[in-house]
Amino acid sequence: MKEKILEVLNENYPEIDFESSDELVDDGTLDSLTVVGIISALSAEFGVELPYEEIIPENFNSVDAMAELFAKYV
Amino acid sequence: MPVMTYNSMFFVLFFAVFLIVYLLMPRPAFRQLVIFAGNIFFYKFAGGLNALVLVAAASLILYLCTRRMEQIYKGFEAEAVSLSKKEQAALLPSYKKRTKRWLFLGIAVMIGALIYVKVGKLLSFEETAYLKDLSFTRIIVPLGLSYYTFSAVGYLADVYWRKAKAEHNWFTLFTAMSFFPTIVQGPISRYDRLMKQFHELPGFSYERVCHGVQRMWWGLFKKSVIADRITPVVGGIFANVFQYTGMEMVLAVIGNVIALYMDFSGCMDIVIGCAEAMGVTLDENFAQPFFAKGAAEFWRRWHITLGAWFKDYVYMPIAMNPRFIKRTAAVRKKSGARAAKVFSSAIPLLIVWILTGLWHGTGKDYLLWGLYWGILIIVETAFAKELKSVPAKLHINTEGKGYRLFQMIRTFIYFAIGRMITAAGCGRSLFLIIGQIAKGGKLRILWDGSLFTYGIDKKNMLLLVVSLIAVWIVDILSAKGSVRGRIDSLPMVLRWLIYYALVLSVVIFGIYGEAYDASAFVYGGF
Repeated sequence: MKEKILEVLNENYPEIDFESSDELVDDGTLDSLTVVGIISALSAEFGVELPYEEIIPENFNSVDAMAELFAKYV
Repeated sequence: MPVMTYNSMFFVLFFAVFLIVYLLMPRPAFRQLVIFAGNIFFYKFAGGLNALVLVAAASLILYLCTRRMEQIYKGFEAEAVSLSKKEQAALLPSYKKRTKRWLFLGIAVMIGALIYVKVGKLLSFEETAYLKDLSFTRIIVPLGLSYYTFSAVGYLADVYWRKAKAEHNWFTLFTAMSFFPTIVQGPISRYDRLMKQFHELPGFSYERVCHGVQRMWWGLFKKSVIADRITPVVGGIFANVFQYTGMEMVLAVIGNVIALYMDFSGCMDIVIGCAEAMGVTLDENFAQPFFAKGAAEFWRRWHITLGAWFKDYVYMPIAMNPRFIKRTAAVRKKSGARAAKVFSSAIPLLIVWILTGLWHGTGKDYLLWGLYWGILIIVETAFAKELKSVPAKLHINTEGKGYRLFQMIRTFIYFAIGRMITAAGCGRSLFLIIGQIAKGGKLRILWDGSLFTYGIDKKNMLLLVVSLIAVWIVDILSAKGSVRGRIDSLPMVLRWLIYYALVLSVVIFGIYGEAYDASAFVYGGF
């Protein structure tokens, strides 16, 4: 799951180093527009509908957190 | 009967008595009771008690809807205890379906009332202050309707998304909804955060009261010394657009922007200072907006709580809608990742900005205003990479102070164009004003002394310039840290000199009076 997520992220956002931090949202690496784009790309990749209440900074602060989140719905 | 506005002597006296009684209370519950009494008093003299009855009704509906949603989710929590995370995720949608009815009921009532009043005003329905006169063609415009409606919808959505807990005490919810510092112009409160503070209202703290009063007085300075000096003059110019041309019009537009900033941010300083003296922290609504590097950043610094509300409750739900995500995926497949990124941000942004325009006013000019900002931000976002490469191609140093100044002037011009769209109060406002500017001339008013004949004489102009420099310095210092913290660390004599200078400048140079048209706050009309 994590490898696949990283692959999608790097394909869509090559300019961002997703493994540089585990506070990607909190430290400002990802803004809300980018988070929307990430969810859009990952939801399409895994064919899942992510409930809105899951869209909180903690779930997008690191690739591990994203992997854990999507694992619940795949 | 005196009218209560935040910049009136009546309010200052009311708040002084209120604060003394409030701080004498021994427990948070008593302090909350004093706030409730303060809300009633404020409504009585600012919007009428009938308006408060409507807020009470709205808070009751909000209370019942959120409590019902909470009860349904309790069933989910009981069932979810023995399930894995994956099983919980599969179970949740059936419970959300049941809570959705209460969410929609609450939103329909709150937004329905807002639309009824806005459309009623558009159709020129008569306004009445009395419930007994209420009919299809007569409407009550409750004080602060646009602000508490937005807060209420946000609270309903947060409970539905399980991001906030439903309040168990209706009285606390009603007190938060009618909280007198925020009711006229915001900031748009997040009720869950506000009510949490209402349960733990702290007692007296010298530093907090001192800081709160300082901030209130600073707001009064911005409003009564600066904004109220400029507003009637530029208002007169925009009311007679055809009489003014060239430099006269350019200066009127600049004055209009400055007056609006001083008016709105001054009001926010007063209300946030009021709440701070009580021990309640409100969300900030301004963060030196004209220091912004572009349009999107400007709106993260200007009317912050409105922008944050639209982001959380309109932009994100649209962008995250499963059907919209599928559309984005189709765009990605057909036209690539870049096109998908633009599509996924542009459509929700356009909807957000059309709604933001309609929130400010229901005329064509506000629709155009919303489209203007929407398109500007979409272009800035979608072509960020290309726009960033332009200075490099032109060999411009983007790290220098000159470029920073250029960005700030550009932001000011963006905002000034936005103001021109609505300033003359008609759909053709922008073209009228630009047309008058294009007629040119009147440059000589800058040096021949006639500048002081439009309503602001030489002495008042000098006072304005000095005051604006003071605001500019405070804004620069605020961006670097707490100004009031710096004042605290000064020697006592210097500290009190600053306090006296601020108080006396408001008392001596402030413009007041019931007959004075500009004394009402600009954003109070929403």
